[in-house]
Amino acid sequence: MENSAIALRGAKVRTPNQSWLREFCLLPAVAWYGVFFFGPLCFFLWFGFWRVEDYSPVADFSLTNYREIFANMFTGSNYGWGIAQSLWVSVPAALIATTCTYLVVLAIVYGVPARRQRLALLLTVAPFWSSYLLRLYAWQIILAREGAINSLLTAIGLGEWRIALMYTQIATRIGLIHYVTPILIIILYVTVSNIDRALIDVSRNLGATRLQTFRKVILPLSRVGLITSVSFATIICLGDFLSGSLLGGGGGTSLIGRVPTFPDMIMSEYGSSSNLPRTTAMASILVVIMLIVLAISIRLMTPALKGNRR
Amino acid sequence: MTEGGERRAWIVAARIWIGIFLVFLYLPIFMLILFSMQKNQFASFPLMGFSTEWYRKLFNDGTLITALGNSILVSPAAATVATIISFLAAYAINRFEFRGRNLLTGIFIMPVLIPGLILGVACLGLLSRLHLNGELYSVFLMHVLLTTAPALAIIQLRLSQLPRSHEEAAWDLGATEWQALRRVVIPWALPGIVGGWLLAFTFSFDEFLIAWFVAGFDQTLPVAIFSVLKAVVDPSLNAIGTIVFLISGIVLVGVEMFVLPLVFGREQGTDSNPGV
Repeated sequence: MENSAIALRGAKVRTPNQSWLREFCLLPAVAWYGVFFFGPLCFFLWFGFWRVEDYSPVADFSLTNYREIFANMFTGSNYGWGIAQSLWVSVPAALIATTCTYLVVLAIVYGVPARRQRLALLLTVAPFWSSYLLRLYAWQIILAREGAINSLLTAIGLGEWRIALMYTQIATRIGLIHYVTPILIIILYVTVSNIDRALIDVSRNLGATRLQTFRKVILPLSRVGLITSVSFATIICLGDFLSGSLLGGGGGTSLIGRVPTFPDMIMSEYGSSSNLPRTTAMASILVVIMLIVLAISIRLMTPALKGNRR
Repeated sequence: MTEGGERRAWIVAARIWIGIFLVFLYLPIFMLILFSMQKNQFASFPLMGFSTEWYRKLFNDGTLITALGNSILVSPAAATVATIISFLAAYAINRFEFRGRNLLTGIFIMPVLIPGLILGVACLGLLSRLHLNGELYSVFLMHVLLTTAPALAIIQLRLSQLPRSHEEAAWDLGATEWQALRRVVIPWALPGIVGGWLLAFTFSFDEFLIAWFVAGFDQTLPVAIFSVLKAVVDPSLNAIGTIVFLISGIVLVGVEMFVLPLVFGREQGTDSNPGV
């Protein structure tokens, strides 16, 4: 009798899926994210609606900050031009970075023997591990008016070829491209190396030229990876303040004019005024712009994904 | 042109392009190291000869070295805590079935996808309300959050390769769950844990914006470098830069030893993908 009771109790033994370890293991991460991630983010969204009285923020649900920002879009602080400058810097930078990286990845996958591919990947991704700030500083000494390139050109007697890129948004884009390419290499390598070799062989055997195979087979199959990489790079560039500040010199010149990028405006706003709620409201607007970019890219991706599923 | 000749031409073009790209990637790093060891006050040609002047100035001056000290304190600490948190979370996510598991994984990755500017402003807002900002430990708190995501990704990759039967066999042989975790799962996960730690360290060591917002006067190295950079032309930046690149290089060797075998491990040696 007693034995069967034990056996019954034994039958109710917990499955490996139920264990105190589950809660124990998840707790630290969940707690940390709750306090230091969701806490700040929720507070961030609310903080933009606070008012400032006597130089200190007061809890409120007022639209004052947003009204001030939208009133200053194209007059006064010119936030709108800052946003335009940011887009004009980021989108071309993302497109150029994606194009160059895509060509590199194609070259690695189809032009380098398999046993050397890992080395080629390691070399192209390695700069990601070095400090971004220091890489920008290094570009500064290369591009500066009396910097490495110009002094070298003068020294070898090609003085008339000197470049004037420093403190323009072109320099900003160079810094950004240098920053994002190692990351894009990974995204695009995963895309291209997953393309079925058989499809390419079939296309070639059926008489398509290399360029035709590229246009009709490889490019369509890379579509999702390419869109991901452009939108990812655009979002990183939109949120970057360092390159615009160090290489663009704050208000770097471009076709739009001597206007700083929007993140640069946020940072100087933070530095010069004690109005933290308004700085937060500006950062919220930046988030909305990034979400719009993300939405556009998802929209562009949907037909491609459907095509793959067919 | 013959078919073989055309193929050669494409391959040569591909390799030239990779070469140009590598020059673009490494030119800045090379220049910085070069000018850290030259007499030149400004980074311009012609070179004036070898000198260790800027390294001496760097160590005599002190501010950047103090900041390096702060970073050497914060980054390993943040990486260690982040690795512990993310190992536990990765273990739970990998072993247990529960509702919202994928959602949770997605949430854990989020901090690296959100731009530092946004997270920095957000943290500053909250931490300043709680009077927790302006100290080295505020950087530590935020860096643990930021570096959990990359560490988690690596450790999870390793754990997902552990055959379920290993742990179950340990239980059947009478090990408690805790013993199985210690004797079977952790040894298996070790390369992932080391790789995750190195990645977390790198993320923290190079992170600028969040540290800039919350650090106050206890600057980490990137924050201190930025302040110097905005103020003067100082070639000791080349020297500290070279030291930082050296540290990154050492970390990279570690990554090459621990992380890449996890990603490529299975393909190693099988020449399944010969060049065109």
